[in-house]
Amino acid sequence: MDWFSYLTSGIGVYVALVVFTGGMAWRAWQWSRTPKSPVRLALYPKPKTGPGRFGKLLVDTFAAPQSFKIAPAIMVAALLFHLAALAAFVGHLRLVHEFTPLVAVLGVDGMNTFAAWSGGAAGIIMLVAVLYWLGRRTFGAYKNLSVPEDYLLLALLLGIVLMGDHLRFVGGLHAATYQAWFASLMAFRPAFPAELTSSVTRYALDWHMLFVDAFLIYFPFSKLTHAIGAFATNAVRTGE
Amino acid sequence: MEKQTIDSMVGVLDARMNRQLKQYMDICARCAICKDACHQYVATQDMKYLPARRAELLRQIYRRYFTKAGQFLPALYEAREPDENLMDELYESTYACTGCRRCTYYCPFSIDTGWITSVSKGVLIAAGRGNEMLGQLADAALFKADNMDVFDEIIVNGFKDVVRELEEELGRPVAIPVDKQGADILYVALAGSHSIKPAAVIFDAAGASWTLSKFEAANYGFFFGDPAKAKLIADRFMNEAKRLGVKEVVITECGHAYRVAEMFYEAWAKEKMPFKVRHILEVIDEYIKDGRITVDPKGIAEKVTYHDPCQIGRNGGIYEQPRDIMHAIAPDFVDMTPNRETQWCCGGGGGIVAMEEFNDVRLKSGGKKVEQIKATGAKLLACPCENCRLQIEELSKVHDLGLRIVPVMELVAEALR
Repeated sequence: MDWFSYLTSGIGVYVALVVFTGGMAWRAWQWSRTPKSPVRLALYPKPKTGPGRFGKLLVDTFAAPQSFKIAPAIMVAALLFHLAALAAFVGHLRLVHEFTPLVAVLGVDGMNTFAAWSGGAAGIIMLVAVLYWLGRRTFGAYKNLSVPEDYLLLALLLGIVLMGDHLRFVGGLHAATYQAWFASLMAFRPAFPAELTSSVTRYALDWHMLFVDAFLIYFPFSKLTHAIGAFATNAVRTGE
Repeated sequence: MEKQTIDSMVGVLDARMNRQLKQYMDICARCAICKDACHQYVATQDMKYLPARRAELLRQIYRRYFTKAGQFLPALYEAREPDENLMDELYESTYACTGCRRCTYYCPFSIDTGWITSVSKGVLIAAGRGNEMLGQLADAALFKADNMDVFDEIIVNGFKDVVRELEEELGRPVAIPVDKQGADILYVALAGSHSIKPAAVIFDAAGASWTLSKFEAANYGFFFGDPAKAKLIADRFMNEAKRLGVKEVVITECGHAYRVAEMFYEAWAKEKMPFKVRHILEVIDEYIKDGRITVDPKGIAEKVTYHDPCQIGRNGGIYEQPRDIMHAIAPDFVDMTPNRETQWCCGGGGGIVAMEEFNDVRLKSGGKKVEQIKATGAKLLACPCENCRLQIEELSKVHDLGLRIVPVMELVAEALR
């Protein structure tokens, strides 16, 4: 690995994971040590039973049906983006360990084809969603509401997705090559396999990882803490 | 701004900080989904009335003084020290907010902009920028409580005048008990006989054990944005209820007064009250269903519609009782669309009807409510909130709607057999 690869795809990955995990834990701890609102802030109607309230909390957080009614376009973009991001995350787990049962069903070629289609679709959906958000925030009537943080996050996401799509559609390397790199990361001896070192694709990977590292490091200090905070705030809506 | 003023503002924000507020400050995505939920933004398209912007103004101070990230990279978060420009915008966007929480309903994270603006009001007060009119009205209520030896006789004589008026209207004796030890109900009305007379007739018909509070339900300390004053104002009738040993406090048709008494007071007082709090419409609905009062099912022959006040509907959960009452007395009752939790705010809440400087935005923001009322075709509107009534009466004049707007209990009193 050259110094840039080592920085982005080696040591940077560890730093990003430590900051992300520690930062999110710190944020959750910070919230938990702040006293709850003493007054009741629920919205009505709300379910009367505990399980009912929990069910509504899940629906509100994962589907936000009332938001869909008033702003369908952005909510469709948000839902598709989050689902695609989840699919991409699950797909990346293949680099940690091959999805053996799926390979047994689909075969090696079938698995690669499935990964190519699903990963490609996820990458395109995320790209379209990020571009939509960027356009909405830049040219929408409420652009004055936006702050530099909003653009930084979108820029990082755009970088991640563009480079990820490049790896998916242009890179020409198969999962096994990345699995070797991931194995080195998990052994705390980060190194690129020869196939990656000798390919120009490694530059795309390095830039992909640079954006990923920066995104993960910034995440706990950004509005993206809604990933955990939304559960708490939506619980207030149906609370006692 | 002077350092002492800023310290005072930051101190208030620190004192009002709780988990929910911190999360609201931290997680808003500024997606602006709330823009189509707010009657003021929909009517004006003015950024300062966008709910997320109202919150963002307080967030700028929060970021600057309560987050390391905001202190380290203020430009990234637009964290800023408060200055006169910020305070001007904060004042306008905050005191204009009616606290209807329709934006909260539609927000994917349920961010409570109404709660955020209540904290912003505290920050404004600390900076000497609280609304003067609301502050004076709150102080007047407290002055009355502090000088009851002067006011007591005047109040009781006023109630005697109401009894005389009522007896003339009904042609029979009616009692309005005051200071009745051991009564079941302490009824807390508004200033003026309109909220006393129909309730007295209904309580009388039901044979209820009740007594009338010497204090009005309205709470300008709540509108002003000072929870300490709001508590002191509510203390007046809550202490009266304790002294008289009543079983329940019944709040008249006043949205915010019900929410203060039912949702906030125990938390402010840090004690469990020895009585329950109910809205008068809950009590009347129960009287009808239990057969304690008999109403004429065709008592209100005219086509009538109903307005859901935000503070008892979306924020209080009272949706069905008033509708059940209306169905019991008015065969031609028609609901507005949308209604219940998605109904539009009339534009008159949060104390805005008392602040002349917001008259323009207040009247413009009632446009959605006007459309809703027109669509029903009704000329009679049942409205269980004083601020909503004042607003809709003015909207009716401006838009030539020719509406008669009355409390629900007045219609019930009319329909009593």
